Amino acid sequence: MHRYIARRLLAFPFVIVAVSILVFSLTRLGGTTIGPYLEPGMTDQEIAALEERFNLDEPLPMQYLAWLGGVFRGELGWSAVAAAPVTVVFRQKIAASIELGVAAVLWAVTLGVGLGTFAARRRNRLPDQLSSVFAVGGASMPTFWLGIVLLIIFWAYLGWFPHGRSDPDIWSSISHPTGFYVIDAVVAGSFQALKDAVWHMVLPALTLGYAAVGIVTRMMRSSLLEEMGKDYVDAARARGLPERLVVRRHARRNAFIPTITVIGLSIGIIFEGSVVVETIFGWPGLGNWMADSVLSGDQATTLAFVIFTSVLFLTINMAVDVTYGYLDRRVVLRKS
Amino acid sequence: MWFQAVRVEKAPHVFRDTPFRVKTRRLLATAKEVFSRVSTAFGATLIILMLGMAIFAPLLVEPNARGAYQMPRDLSAVAVPPGTPGHPLGTTRLGGDVLYGIVWGSRLSLQLSLYVVSGAVLIGLIVGSTAGLLGGKVDAFLMRVVDIFLSVPELIFPLAIAAILGPSFINIVVALAVIMWARYARIIRSQILQVREEDYVEAARAIGDSRFGIIRRDILPNSMAPVAVQATLDMGHAVLFGATLAFIGLAVAGQAEWGTLVSEGQADIIAGRWWTSTFPGAMVFLWALSFNLVGDGLRDVLDPRTEGR
Repeated sequence: MHRYIARRLLAFPFVIVAVSILVFSLTRLGGTTIGPYLEPGMTDQEIAALEERFNLDEPLPMQYLAWLGGVFRGELGWSAVAAAPVTVVFRQKIAASIELGVAAVLWAVTLGVGLGTFAARRRNRLPDQLSSVFAVGGASMPTFWLGIVLLIIFWAYLGWFPHGRSDPDIWSSISHPTGFYVIDAVVAGSFQALKDAVWHMVLPALTLGYAAVGIVTRMMRSSLLEEMGKDYVDAARARGLPERLVVRRHARRNAFIPTITVIGLSIGIIFEGSVVVETIFGWPGLGNWMADSVLSGDQATTLAFVIFTSVLFLTINMAVDVTYGYLDRRVVLRKS
Repeated sequence: MWFQAVRVEKAPHVFRDTPFRVKTRRLLATAKEVFSRVSTAFGATLIILMLGMAIFAPLLVEPNARGAYQMPRDLSAVAVPPGTPGHPLGTTRLGGDVLYGIVWGSRLSLQLSLYVVSGAVLIGLIVGSTAGLLGGKVDAFLMRVVDIFLSVPELIFPLAIAAILGPSFINIVVALAVIMWARYARIIRSQILQVREEDYVEAARAIGDSRFGIIRRDILPNSMAPVAVQATLDMGHAVLFGATLAFIGLAVAGQAEWGTLVSEGQADIIAGRWWTSTFPGAMVFLWALSFNLVGDGLRDVLDPRTEGR
């Protein structure tokens, strides 16, 4: 087991470098990336100076090495869209994305676990089938469409929920030491700001989380069914425990273990979905910035974002594998 | 018992069975099992309806003279609500008929999913069978490449590729196929390694079949079940991801493409025109849902071991 983890950890940097080479060569496939830095009326000398500044006058492998060197110095290039260094903007925007992502994961896990338990206890009956259709629906749902439909109903028609991340007046009424609106509101002790933060988060978090509800539901349902067939469940029933408690106190706790691993996967799904959801809801996070960068050919930002997502995915996958292996081993040890 | 007697009387036709008849009957039995589930049958019905719409599009709605996939502009009926004569699903603020977009968009979606899936299966087949059949260092190298492609985010990566190639329909196809092939390569390789050990392959080897003959007649056909399952699911994923890329703005503006229509309808929400985004987006959902339902149904019957992965 330790050797397995060690091997995965050793391979990790190589995979990251391979991914970065792949993405880097792809971003240079369309020729020079000077486009977004140019302004009308620039002289040839100014353009040449810009090319030198961004190392665009050198051959491709040298450009890559220059970029890689920058990564080690903590520089990821210049974002033309935000007109600031990528790393600086990244730090500003990530709090908004994490805040929304956490809300979405919480909602996906709560609903997924609840629905999975509900479905498993009514196996193959109508509620079970309906919940599986609901789960497949999440995997088939175009996030951009769900977001727009929710906006049409709850923003344009009913006016129950707002658009964007905050009411500018309330936002500027408190200070923002962490950048997480909810935390800042609690720190400032402003109930009005907290309500504003949560209210703005409801629709985008619902939209973003629904894509991940399906996998959590499925995993919860199948692992609970597996647990329910085990001897200790029969033993608990034989002791005369009501079925509700058998599920809640015994079977469900053990069924959580494999479900934890899917939660890792759902973080990945939610992070990807943020590109679309943040665009629709005008949420000032990483995904929104990425969508703008992609459309305006801002390669430095695109590259940084793709690498960041890949590293996130690789880390999650590894964490999931290691957790699973660890949990499995413990189960084996306990049996012997 | 009398019914057994009837059976015996009918039995001789078994001996006249050709391999074709046996195969057909086996296929029909499998199909019956697959579609006996309500959700799968529902998905299959939806697929048939949408394929019919795609194939018979020219009969349903007359193609635009300036190019069939270009949204028509009816300037006498701009932004009319659903139910208007001549525009049953309403029009956009540029006078584009929403029904036109849905019908001709289904044709684009069918093309998109067929190109993406066949491209991905082809690359996966070449890489996977090379790795599985040659083994050794080639196998190890190719599988590391596959691992890298499987570990990159499956929406962000195509998004970056499509952005670099520039906004167009064919670039979305390329961007999606470039990422989707890896799963097929892995499936085909593991199937080959598994099927290779089966008795009938050994039998074929024993009677002196050529290596290529064994691969073509025995190994590949018998490793196709999981590929068929994955391909069905990916028919849905391709349209879902393709429409997402188009929505972000990587398709050609003004085209009868579902994601583009939703994106262009976004500006109508404030004006209270709900229909321009709602209908095309619902089509993307139904397309992805139906292929997911049928794919799940197929997996349970053809490939029960991987259920609920």
